Amino acid sequence: MRSFEDDPTLDDLLTAEQLQRLTHALSALCRKSVTITPHRQDDAVAVEFNLETVGWLSGGASPGERQAASELVSFLMMFIAKYRLAASLHHDTTEASYAELQRQNEALRASEARYRELSGQLQQRVDDQVEVIQQTQQDLYESSRLRSVGHLAAGVAHEINNPIGFISSNLRVARDYLEDLQGLVPDTEANRELLDDFHDLIGESVDGAKRIASIVSDLKTFSSIDQADYTPCDVNALLTSAIHLLQTEHGHQLHIMERLNDVPKISCHPGRISQSLYNLLDNAAHALLDAKPKKGQGRILVKTAARDNEVDIVIQDNGCGIPDASRSQVFDAFYTTRPIGSGTGLGLTVAHDTVRAHRGTIKIDSREGAGTRVTLTLPAT
Amino acid sequence: MAEYTSEDNKLALKVVFYGPALSGKTTNLMQLHSLLNPERKGELMVLETRDDRTLFFDMLPIGLKSNSGLDLRLKLYTVPGQVQHDSTRKAVLSRADAVVFVADSQPSQQDNNANAFGNLEENLEKVGLDIDTLPLAVQFNKRDIPGAVDETVLQARWSVTPWSPLIMASALHGQGVIETLRTVLDRLYTEIDNEFELANRHGIDRSQFITRLSASHEVNRA
Ligand SMILES: Nc1nc2c(ncn2[C@@H]2O[C@H](COP(=O)(O)OP(=O)(O)OP(=O)(O)O)[C@@H](O)[C@H]2O)c(=O)[nH]1
Ligand SMILES: [Mg+2]
Repeated sequence: MRSFEDDPTLDDLLTAEQLQRLTHALSALCRKSVTITPHRQDDAVAVEFNLETVGWLSGGASPGERQAASELVSFLMMFIAKYRLAASLHHDTTEASYAELQRQNEALRASEARYRELSGQLQQRVDDQVEVIQQTQQDLYESSRLRSVGHLAAGVAHEINNPIGFISSNLRVARDYLEDLQGLVPDTEANRELLDDFHDLIGESVDGAKRIASIVSDLKTFSSIDQADYTPCDVNALLTSAIHLLQTEHGHQLHIMERLNDVPKISCHPGRISQSLYNLLDNAAHALLDAKPKKGQGRILVKTAARDNEVDIVIQDNGCGIPDASRSQVFDAFYTTRPIGSGTGLGLTVAHDTVRAHRGTIKIDSREGAGTRVTLTLPAT
Repeated sequence: MAEYTSEDNKLALKVVFYGPALSGKTTNLMQLHSLLNPERKGELMVLETRDDRTLFFDMLPIGLKSNSGLDLRLKLYTVPGQVQHDSTRKAVLSRADAVVFVADSQPSQQDNNANAFGNLEENLEKVGLDIDTLPLAVQFNKRDIPGAVDETVLQARWSVTPWSPLIMASALHGQGVIETLRTVLDRLYTEIDNEFELANRHGIDRSQFITRLSASHEVNRA
């Protein structure tokens, strides 16, 4: 592209028509006609502008005439050129300004895109970080909960197992002694009443001790204190323990229907699966409590069934159900439909993650006001 | 950038007079036009002005022809000093081979000098020129005005720069103008001699380059 400072040619300065008019006027002034051409003719003199030969003037009656005409043309050229120079400089600067503007616009757009990308990355990083935090918190929750239950269970099992053993056997021996005593004591009305009552007391105590022993055994199963990570487990046994513990927690007020069928053992981490089952049962129990209008008819149905190489576990309640809006969130950590304080909401998430870790699936069917059915499917060994 | 066209054996060079508004750039060029008597000298083109202030630029072409037939042209340009004409300044500055910075000696103008010099640095960078390698002469003009900043102060201040010593001038009275041109020609020669083989191929050595382009009526008279 030509710049404003490039030396102008004859064409740049004058149009063909203007040139013709100029030579016409000059010819009228001279005694013989003159012509101006871009290239040299025989008798031509140079038409100079700014040290540059822009054309050649020939004709005229004498060298003097040619010289005078040529100088007149040079003089004219200067004013034409001034205007041209100013105009093309203006053009140049306008174009440069426009180019600069476009460049800035481009740069602006580029930086805008960069910031958008950055903010996107930032969001991604925040999301990742949140996920890490949630995962850590879940792990923490899970492990602390498991640990506390495990500790408790271990402690209880250890501390109670022995005393409850000798209490049970002592009570049985005491009952025998009572039989012996019966023959030795004078057979009066009052004594008979006393001995009968004594007999009942010991009978109730034996039953109580039996129940204590079974809770201890449930706790041992539940916490699997003595189990390795993955072992073949009887899901029904885990469920039974979890149900017993749940009943203990709810004062044996829950109506839980057990439909436990023969199922193959599954390879699992018993502590974790127990925790998950307990969580699901606990959710069901709360769903019943929340369904106040239907109070009294609430029940939890617990089913197990073998299917192909899988074991289905169904925990179904006819409680409050899950509102549509929150269903997709039920696995989100911290989410809970229950009022704050009644649970951390991590229960379901922990169950979800545990089942996934066992290469199983968890499915939730729920209708608000009608109830919830959670189906766990775990691969059989 | 110096432009050599081999068909007509022509070398075109460009020197730009830069500086703050009203420092005397146009005056420098007008004085050169009347004082210089080089082998070839064109018309001084003073483009539009308003109240004596340059709106576009001024231009004076001078030149010489070497024995080898080299057609050497030097176009001297001034830029408009007023702040608002920056895009014009940039356009005129582009492809410069050398710069004369015309500063104003009045104490009140020292800030303007500094700003204009900063603007020169900026625009050089924008048009792809390097202030550290570009031949540059600095003139302090208007020495005739009473109260002008002391020369020793100015020289000391600039002594650490590659553009020392400064040239003192009173362009209105034609003083220091040719000296300034000679200084910039001297620095310009250093830059271009090698590339265009001025001495070796065209027989133009440094002193010839300077004296033939800056020949003045006075010198001729003397
Ligand atoms: N006293 C004095 N006045 C000067 C001198 N040189 C220039 N002037 C005056 O300063 C004024 C501005 O001079 P110009 O040459 O037009 O300044 P310029 O640098 O071209 O200004 P812009 O075109 O606006 O950038 C004019 O009135 C000049 O007469 C000088 O050496 N001494
Ligand atoms: Mg000016």
